[in-house]
Amino acid sequence: MTAEPASRDPILTVTGAVHAYGGRPVLRAVDLTLRPGEIYALLGPNGAGKTTLIRTICGRIRPDGGQVLLKGRDPARVSAARAGLGLVPQEIALYPNLTVAENIQTFAALAGTPRAAMAAAVQRALELTRTVDRAHVPVKHLSGGYQRRANIAAAIVHEPSLLILDEPTVGVDLDAREAVDQVIRGLRDLGVAVLMTTHDLDQAGALADRVGFLNEGQMVLEGEPKALIAEAFGAQMEILVHLSEEVDAAGEIQLAAEGLERTRRAHVWSRLDADGYAAAGRLDKRLRKVGLTPREIRVREPSLANLFTLVAERKLAA
Amino acid sequence: MIAAMVRVMALDLWRDRGALVMTFLLPPLVFLIFSSVFAGTTGDDIQLKLAVADVARTPDSGRLTAALVKSPEVRAETVSPATAEEVRRLVKAGQADAGLVIREDPASAGKPFVIIADPSRAVAAPLAQARVQQVLAAALPDVAMRRTVTLLEPALGGLSDEQAENADSAAALLRDTPPKAGDDGGFFDREAVKDAKTGGGVIAYYAGAVMILFALFSAMQGALGLMEERRTGVADRLLAGVAGMGPVVTGKFLFLVGQGLVQALAIFVTAQLVYGVAVVQHAALWLPTTLAASACAAGLALGLVSLCRTREQAQMLSTFVILILAAIGGSMVPRFLMPPWLQTVGWFTPHAWAIEAYQAILWRDAGIGAVYKAWGVLTAAGLLGLAVAHVLARRLRR
Repeated sequence: MTAEPASRDPILTVTGAVHAYGGRPVLRAVDLTLRPGEIYALLGPNGAGKTTLIRTICGRIRPDGGQVLLKGRDPARVSAARAGLGLVPQEIALYPNLTVAENIQTFAALAGTPRAAMAAAVQRALELTRTVDRAHVPVKHLSGGYQRRANIAAAIVHEPSLLILDEPTVGVDLDAREAVDQVIRGLRDLGVAVLMTTHDLDQAGALADRVGFLNEGQMVLEGEPKALIAEAFGAQMEILVHLSEEVDAAGEIQLAAEGLERTRRAHVWSRLDADGYAAAGRLDKRLRKVGLTPREIRVREPSLANLFTLVAERKLAA
Repeated sequence: MIAAMVRVMALDLWRDRGALVMTFLLPPLVFLIFSSVFAGTTGDDIQLKLAVADVARTPDSGRLTAALVKSPEVRAETVSPATAEEVRRLVKAGQADAGLVIREDPASAGKPFVIIADPSRAVAAPLAQARVQQVLAAALPDVAMRRTVTLLEPALGGLSDEQAENADSAAALLRDTPPKAGDDGGFFDREAVKDAKTGGGVIAYYAGAVMILFALFSAMQGALGLMEERRTGVADRLLAGVAGMGPVVTGKFLFLVGQGLVQALAIFVTAQLVYGVAVVQHAALWLPTTLAASACAAGLALGLVSLCRTREQAQMLSTFVILILAAIGGSMVPRFLMPPWLQTVGWFTPHAWAIEAYQAILWRDAGIGAVYKAWGVLTAAGLLGLAVAHVLARRLRR
């Protein structure tokens, strides 16, 4: 897929990138390196600076300070540097009245693919994204999952060495997400460097070789997911308490007193505890005593979601 | 790269039946409607509906009424009751274009007729007057003569019995001699400056007027694709690549020029087939004029749409521009009916240049000397719009 799949030289190097909009800093000395065959998940709350960082990597923003290099060249100054870049926007960035194959062919032509190589390039993109069976269906008639994969196909037809995916599975069901994940893994195996942003922390945990947490323009945490989780939480386990119904104000005070915090899921509260299962048993008894009978209590290893919460709430030192 | 964009636009249009109809079927249809309306209202074909009340009830007023009703030049109908009030009512209600009240014998010395017309139909009164005079002179020449004699008699110091008898004999002879076909008894003979089946210059005018109107309308619809490309992220995808949006803008421009050409072909072929407008005979000048007009519409549309931030903004601006330019430039109402100042303002629209160029070629058989300026203006406006679109597309990178 890539020109130099065997090389381990960085494809992308961001060094001390600084940028501000009207005096408001959005990137503060961000560093990021990406090598061939690596999946990097860029995480962070809305407004953290992810979009600005991606636009900088795409050469659309020239940073106020620092440097962005794609294979050693500045994408904002040297347009040829962008030849090895493929972008998959969050939206379905395709022409809906055209078929999948026609769309891929269009973007191949706009990326400068020679006419003689066109058919083979289109076929390869269809195969890599597993959309061959829908090649001649107009995009507007595809399911959400196929549209997502066609969206990726249009970005890889010119064989980029760096693929940037902005929320590649937003709004699709689990099966479709798994299909997209398989496509991304396949590209990684071919040596493509993948940089993705996502709010789906399960997906990031399952796919990414490395993750980076961006918060208020700063890369506050970066590394392999398991290593980061182990470093942040040590031997602690996450206790998840599922309640049957919404609790009143008094109940909330009781839950808070037990160190439980509300999660994004309805009626689910959680806390971290080094004692794990033993702590869960004690917690169950105490909650029953005050009339907050849990429907279920689960104990699991902490995830990226717990780490994300720490980062977002600035409970973690930069 | 540019060809890829042209292909996208072509496939997109081909698969959108509604857009196809709007682009290639609607323009000839609108042209046919406009040309039918104006060909019948600016030439000899105008058939005024005239309400006639014979209040005088003399033999000659009866003859005039009968002649008017029989005349193919006017749709005259007698009213009942035959009163001036009834004529006024019908005109006011819009059931007649104008009214004629014959209040005295037509040969009498005063003003025997009253024309009643609605001021909102300003042309109706003089036209009705002309038609009545035409019928009077052609069908009742004896009455016209007797009225002349009546008017002259005081100036001559009265007629002798012999002179009066001769005048009566001449009047009787005139009354009994049927008028020659096509002779309206007036002073004038007519000569047309151009042969045509029907409508003539007005048809050529409206072919051009509808062409430029729809070229701009369709180009605006096509250019709105730029907004869609921004909304769906296609622009982001392309801006992250080597080529950027440049080939997209150029590709759209070339497609829209081609679309304008095909659209114009549909309109002018209709004009030739239905009305005999000599398009094929003037193809050498028609083609560059059409290319210049299409390029102008394409460039302006792309430039204007590029100025907008959202599709909603672009749609509002395009509707505003299309309607205003069409109204000022003469696509809605013929320019020769406009006041001079508005005709001057019209030169700031592509419509006026295109319409005048088409008229010069197709109606006045003018040569390149009459249209090269229009080609220059239209092409320059189109290229300016294209340049604006390119500059703004480049700024999208930031």
